[in-house]
Amino acid sequence: MRMRPRRVVPERSVLGPVDLAAEALAGMLQRPGRSLLTMLGTVLGVGAFVAVLGLTSTATGQIGARFDALRNTTVVVNDAGTSREPGPVGFPSDADARITALNGATSAGVWWMVPLRRPIIGATATVTAGSHANAGDVPVLAASPGLFAVTAPAMRSGTLFNRSHEHRRAQVAVLGAAAARQLGIAQLNAQPAVFINGLPFTIVGIIDDVARVPDLLMGITVPRSTAERLFPPPDPGSRPAQMVIQTERGAAQLVARQAPVALRPDAPARLRAVPPPDPRSLRDEVDTDLAGLFLALAGISLVIGAVGIANTTLVAVLERVQEIGLRRSLGARPRHVAVQFLTESTALGLLGGLIGTAAGVGAVLAVAIVRQWTAILEPAAVLPGPVIGALVGMVAGAYPAIRAARIEPLEALRR
Amino acid sequence: MTSGPATERPPTAPAVIRLRGVSRTYPGPPEVTALRPADLVVARGDYVAVVGPSGSGKSTLLNLLGLLDRPSTGSYDLDGVDVGALAERDRTALRGSRIGFVFQTFHLLPHRTAAENVMLAQVYNGTARARRRPAAVAALSQVGLGHRIDSLPTTLSGGECQRVAIARALVNAPALLLCDEPTGNLDSGNAARLLDLLDALNAGGLTLVVITHAAEVADRAQRVISIKDGTLSKARTREER
Repeated sequence: MRMRPRRVVPERSVLGPVDLAAEALAGMLQRPGRSLLTMLGTVLGVGAFVAVLGLTSTATGQIGARFDALRNTTVVVNDAGTSREPGPVGFPSDADARITALNGATSAGVWWMVPLRRPIIGATATVTAGSHANAGDVPVLAASPGLFAVTAPAMRSGTLFNRSHEHRRAQVAVLGAAAARQLGIAQLNAQPAVFINGLPFTIVGIIDDVARVPDLLMGITVPRSTAERLFPPPDPGSRPAQMVIQTERGAAQLVARQAPVALRPDAPARLRAVPPPDPRSLRDEVDTDLAGLFLALAGISLVIGAVGIANTTLVAVLERVQEIGLRRSLGARPRHVAVQFLTESTALGLLGGLIGTAAGVGAVLAVAIVRQWTAILEPAAVLPGPVIGALVGMVAGAYPAIRAARIEPLEALRR
Repeated sequence: MTSGPATERPPTAPAVIRLRGVSRTYPGPPEVTALRPADLVVARGDYVAVVGPSGSGKSTLLNLLGLLDRPSTGSYDLDGVDVGALAERDRTALRGSRIGFVFQTFHLLPHRTAAENVMLAQVYNGTARARRRPAAVAALSQVGLGHRIDSLPTTLSGGECQRVAIARALVNAPALLLCDEPTGNLDSGNAARLLDLLDALNAGGLTLVVITHAAEVADRAQRVISIKDGTLSKARTREER
């Protein structure tokens, strides 16, 4: 009697998560050297990603800190004048003292560009308009002594004029480094003078650098009282007189509101105080530009890493064809084979991402320590590192995994 | 209607393999008929050798029997299951649970111990992890390798490697053991010991189908079926040889 065959569906072949993890781990450890090399691409890519973002935020933080310190404590007051024609300077002669009397203002000074027509400027009295020694393009500035307190100049030699010079309307001058070079004056031992339209000014100092008002470096600065006595008043249309105020941190807005009234209680509207701009917007622009550039570089590194993983995983698949055939003969379904290879490549990417993240953080810390900066590592730059690595590994391993799944056990076992 | 001759007497034991008019043609061009329509019944506890020269269709038959390939015509019942009607995933599951394979090249994973190689066969059939190692140790002991459980294949002889492969094939208690040139990579001493092992397994009730071109291997089988140009001949028993 012929037995009727059963039409039963046998148990399904399975690959549980623990077995999958164990098989993937075993696959990775089969050739640890190659696994490390496979990871290297991701390590470099993710490491570059974390390092550039960390260094960007760290470096920008330093720029921002300095920028903030300077900009947040500076108030500028412009003399709008009473008409478009030049007239008396809107700042009273005791403007510096009036402002420093305000709560939160630490120093203040007035300055303006002296409007000279066809100036004749030279280191000797014999300089004429047509001579080569005429440095007529060197700007002449008028400044109150308080301006030097605000600008904190670094002296090359000599000293700065003071309230005594100002009071006496002395014909003294301070040269900026560029003006001194143009006039050929390097030493003050012989008490040199500079002649402006034939008027002698004793040079009392040469300055090399300033924290604010860089115009001082380019020109010849004379006391404001002297300028008011000898030269035309400033042009409110082009270069109005200006007061620069240094404040304590957090006091700039308050000082900006109070300064016009303190200076000109009779006509506060004549003066326009400009509070410091919000530095965050500028810093954000810097951040965005730098981050975009560095992210592009990190992205290129990651693509290179992904190609490396794809390549080595594909080679591994080709080398393990017999193993794939064996697994198929033992009941593995094509998806089991694919998932195993995908898990291996994803795990390698994840490990590479973790190592790369650690390396990137280490690089940022090393640079910060060497430069004596404060390391700034945004969570958004560090935390995605391992995830990005895993994603790169998964994407890169997809094609080799599909290739592995398509291998016929027959063909594989014959090799 | 099959064109091949009848190859088996009616079995008294239940059939593990029952082929009816099974053939395999590979589409060309040129089209190649590797196995002509054939009937074959292998009963439980049977020991059958399939012999033939290279290119005769031995491997095609092995692949069909091992569910690694599908026949072009005919039907195949394995251990009472009509496998022709099964989806590929069910055939895969059936292959993992009911068939044990022994290959000429042992196909052992070189970085895993003997026990771990055997346990690999239990990964895909849902055997609980806690039960795998004891089963693997038992299978290795059954093939005489109880003392080499934690040895790597690189430290084993060829005969020992093939025994590990047999243990791997046995660990899931298959209904059928399919051997493809099992002594092909062994010296005569190891080959004889391996054939003794197969004899012992068969004596224990295991159904064996051995594909070989070696006469000394075929001589161990209860029945020998020749295959030539894709056509199976009538089986010869020990008494008929």
